[in-house]
Amino acid sequence: MVSDEKFFAWLDGELSPDEAARVEAEVSADPERSRLAEQHRAMQARLGRAFGTIAEAPVPDSLAEAIRKPPAEVIDFAAAKSTRQPRSWGALPQWAAMAATLAIGIFVGTQVQTSPSAPVEVQGGKIYAASALNQALETELASAPGKGPVRVGVTFRDQSGAVCRSFTQAEASGLACRNGDRWQLRGLFAAPEGQGGDYRMAAGMDANLAALVDSTMSGEPMDASQEKAAKAKGWR
Amino acid sequence: MDSSLAFENELAQLLPRLRRFAHSLSRNPSDADDLTQTTIERALRSRDQWQEGTRLDSWTYRIMRNLWIDTARSRSRKEKFEAPPEEAEFLGEDPTGAIEASVELKRVMAAMERLPDDQREVVALILIEGFGYRETSEMLGLPIGTVSSRLVRGRTALLEMVGM
Repeated sequence: MVSDEKFFAWLDGELSPDEAARVEAEVSADPERSRLAEQHRAMQARLGRAFGTIAEAPVPDSLAEAIRKPPAEVIDFAAAKSTRQPRSWGALPQWAAMAATLAIGIFVGTQVQTSPSAPVEVQGGKIYAASALNQALETELASAPGKGPVRVGVTFRDQSGAVCRSFTQAEASGLACRNGDRWQLRGLFAAPEGQGGDYRMAAGMDANLAALVDSTMSGEPMDASQEKAAKAKGWR
Repeated sequence: MDSSLAFENELAQLLPRLRRFAHSLSRNPSDADDLTQTTIERALRSRDQWQEGTRLDSWTYRIMRNLWIDTARSRSRKEKFEAPPEEAEFLGEDPTGAIEASVELKRVMAAMERLPDDQREVVALILIEGFGYRETSEMLGLPIGTVSSRLVRGRTALLEMVGM
């Protein structure tokens, strides 16, 4: 019996030819699965037709106009950028230095100048979240993001059962897991140069971070209620 | 100047698909066009962050998705039960085909609206926009297994709602 995931991956053409042939054989021998496949194909075709009317309709003038005549603020972008408020923690070079040292697996505390507002601190050779980063990991819910500089992405448990949370800030993104009462950093990745600031809104997860999350996660990410419950229990 | 015009032209070509994606995320057509408008403005403002040679469509879809998440979360849930916006602007000019098409569109939009956000975006990107699992996982910053299980839940719930 193929799993639901595999059945649908087959239906979506996501399997290798060998695997697809195997699933195909199983489905065609199973009247219920065959019927389900037909229903889902019909539903997808129906969605395609209904939403296709939008893609085929003429684009409203107001939208086409928005591209031809961008709002005035666009012109001021460069100026706005230079007068942007100072970031609440860590200038880019500091983040980049930390990310680089983490990435190659060595970290000497003295290499990074620490200040009271630094987002991480080193203790016993381990790197922990501090200040605004620690605050965000402790209090923010991924399901209800706040206005702070740090955005929490996914919350989940690793193979040992520890709660882990991914986070993104303008200059860097990373993964931290609960170790005792603190958040120990498992990875930190600098944003590509020139992609700070507004890019936070546009960026998905860094590919390296996504791979780290993938390999660390046991089971599924927490949904909103599980995340809330974990927070209530002090992220235990 | 040339590359700036190229960016605008490519964005203009994406508009029909962006509107379709916006309609599959939003609860009504006027919200969908607002979302499209904000997305275009954001994309133009952030154009220097797009790297030439990478796909403009995934980059712009990601902007739209993040803007949608931000507004969807800040909106009170009770709004869902308020009266729908004026329907006249939704109905096309062609009196027969267009009306039928828009009634059907409304029906599927209403069903999509009832899906949890995390399932809706995956259903929209894969089943409606035609992205692959891998592309979708990169766009949403999620492990591929998560994308696949949300897709199973979303399309199963959707099938029950639209009843094929």
